[in-house]
Amino acid sequence: MDERLLLIEDDASIREIVSIGLKAAGFRVVTAVDGQQGLASARSGGFDAVILDVMLPSLDGFEVCREIRKFSRIPVVMLTARTDLIDVVVGLESGADDYVKKPFELPELTARLRAVLRRAASPAAGEDSLIAVGRLQIDPACFTVRRDGAELTLTATEFRLLVELAKRPGQVFTRELLLQRVWDYEYLGESHLVDVAIQRLRAKVEDDPSRPVLIKTVRGVGYRLDRTGA
Amino acid sequence: MRRRLVVAFVLVAAVSAGVLAVASYLLVQQARLQGSLSASSAQAREDLNLAATITYPLASDFVNAYEQRGTHAVLVFPGGLRVPSDTEVNPPIPAELVDVVHQGQLGYQRVHVAGQPYLILGGKVPQSAAQLYLFFSEQDIQHALDQLRNTLVGGWLSVLLVAALIGNALARRTLGPVARASEAARLIADGRLDTRLPAGDGDEFGAWAAAFNEMADALEAKIAALSAAQARELRFTANVAHELRTPLTALVAAASLLSEQARHLPDEARRPVELVTADVGRLRVLVDELMEISRLDAGSEPVQHSAADVHSIVTALIGARGWQDKVVVDDQPLTLITDPRRIERILANLLENAIEHSGHDVRVRIAALGTHASIAVADGGPGIPPEQLPLIFERFYKADSARASAGSGLGLAIALENARLLGGDISVSSDVRSGSVFRLTLPMEPSGDVSKR
Repeated sequence: MDERLLLIEDDASIREIVSIGLKAAGFRVVTAVDGQQGLASARSGGFDAVILDVMLPSLDGFEVCREIRKFSRIPVVMLTARTDLIDVVVGLESGADDYVKKPFELPELTARLRAVLRRAASPAAGEDSLIAVGRLQIDPACFTVRRDGAELTLTATEFRLLVELAKRPGQVFTRELLLQRVWDYEYLGESHLVDVAIQRLRAKVEDDPSRPVLIKTVRGVGYRLDRTGA
Repeated sequence: MRRRLVVAFVLVAAVSAGVLAVASYLLVQQARLQGSLSASSAQAREDLNLAATITYPLASDFVNAYEQRGTHAVLVFPGGLRVPSDTEVNPPIPAELVDVVHQGQLGYQRVHVAGQPYLILGGKVPQSAAQLYLFFSEQDIQHALDQLRNTLVGGWLSVLLVAALIGNALARRTLGPVARASEAARLIADGRLDTRLPAGDGDEFGAWAAAFNEMADALEAKIAALSAAQARELRFTANVAHELRTPLTALVAAASLLSEQARHLPDEARRPVELVTADVGRLRVLVDELMEISRLDAGSEPVQHSAADVHSIVTALIGARGWQDKVVVDDQPLTLITDPRRIERILANLLENAIEHSGHDVRVRIAALGTHASIAVADGGPGIPPEQLPLIFERFYKADSARASAGSGLGLAIALENARLLGGDISVSSDVRSGSVFRLTLPMEPSGDVSKR
């Protein structure tokens, strides 16, 4: 285990102690002190995941994440200083795979990182056969989704979420079940992770994301994939 | 006030005009009657002398001549023989007058004959035993006096009307500024601090309005300064909490690394590491609570309503915190429309507080009271002295300074703010023998304005 991580954090103390902790946990860490520098490093490539502070000088974390998503589906974990729900939601909407609230203990951060890395390494564990749902062709082995033959760019989290739903079309998945299966979360209460990821997935696979026909909301319960849709 | 002023004004006018009118009437009446009497007396003396020349057989003609002038006349002869000018009317002669005439004087009396006013003058006919009584009609005088009276009453009524109108106008003019001032005071009390009175003329009301406006200026400035200070204080708290968070993040991360390594450290370093880790934990709780209370103060805490069973929230909470052998919950399901996350937050604070004080024997009672739910957390602890009860919801207030290390001192304040955010409240009662009861009351359903927040 020597994944390379890019840590983008402006506060020197946090940057240093998190680097030490992550290195002690077996990662290789490259640091950047602001958004511009971080984005440049991310562009140069060679990283397995990005740890991204929200409050950054020059270019804030949301912007950096949106820029990264334009060229890469590398897992991104946000460090949100504010506990406001809106920050979490904006972070996830800008394409982050997960978030950790400041202050955090290092074991919590490493656990989250390992979870996103696992997802990225094997986006749909144990699934090799092609899945066809409506106009979608999902190839878990090659980590690709085609819609009417055109390839869609999905992040690891979105891909895993889609595969999870598509494996059992028609079945209703609760948010808790999806958190467990897709995010490897044992605890409850982070259901906006699921809701935001579903929104992002719909934006990519639905004709009209505000009136979804493929990924349906089951009010008060969760979501299901409708095989007749798409 | 206005009506009383008008009534008083009219009353004064009525009395003065009334006295004036009555006095004038009486004066005129007396003058007219006196005039009539002296004219009639002169006439009567002349007629008595004339009557002295008349002998009995011509008496009838004599009195009849009076009738021509509209004056009744009656000749009374000794023995009671009466010769009236008008036999039909034959007016009675009052006995008192007859007595006066018997004494040889000229007498008079005013009577009504057939509804008409008459002045009777009577006297002895000279050189005769006969008496002559003349009835002079005072119809004209009465008429004139009646007219005068009607005019005076009419005038009096007009004076009353004018007085009422003037009084009303004066009262309005006088009391208008008072009404405006009380309206302005009411608006200021309602929070419209920019309300001012129109600057009046140079009179007392003008001075009063100026003083009122000065007071309102001072009040507005004071309140603006106070709310600015309060806003500054709120921002300061939020900023402090926020600024603390960055170094705290480094501290928490460092402490978590240190505590992993603690067992490899020599004894003299391990204990300090444990202390640092524990204190970083306390600092973290304090900063979290400061952030939370500053968000509550700023009104930026969102409320997400859904149906929630209080009993399940409490049992889940007790299970998650491992308080099963310390807390007993009534088996009473009760579903509310509220924010379950906040109820959990409030009850966690109340239960933590109760366990801290009594260690165990904490009891939760859930009850529906009409439109409200009541959730009581009772402990068997030492209780709170009555003088400290009003203070325990104050921020950073700690009832027992010896126990100052436990909790941030914000727990109950946060619980109360959260309860109010849900449209509820927390009350406390305590007895030094039986312990304390914290009672959370919440509406069964959010009211209109609470759900908007």
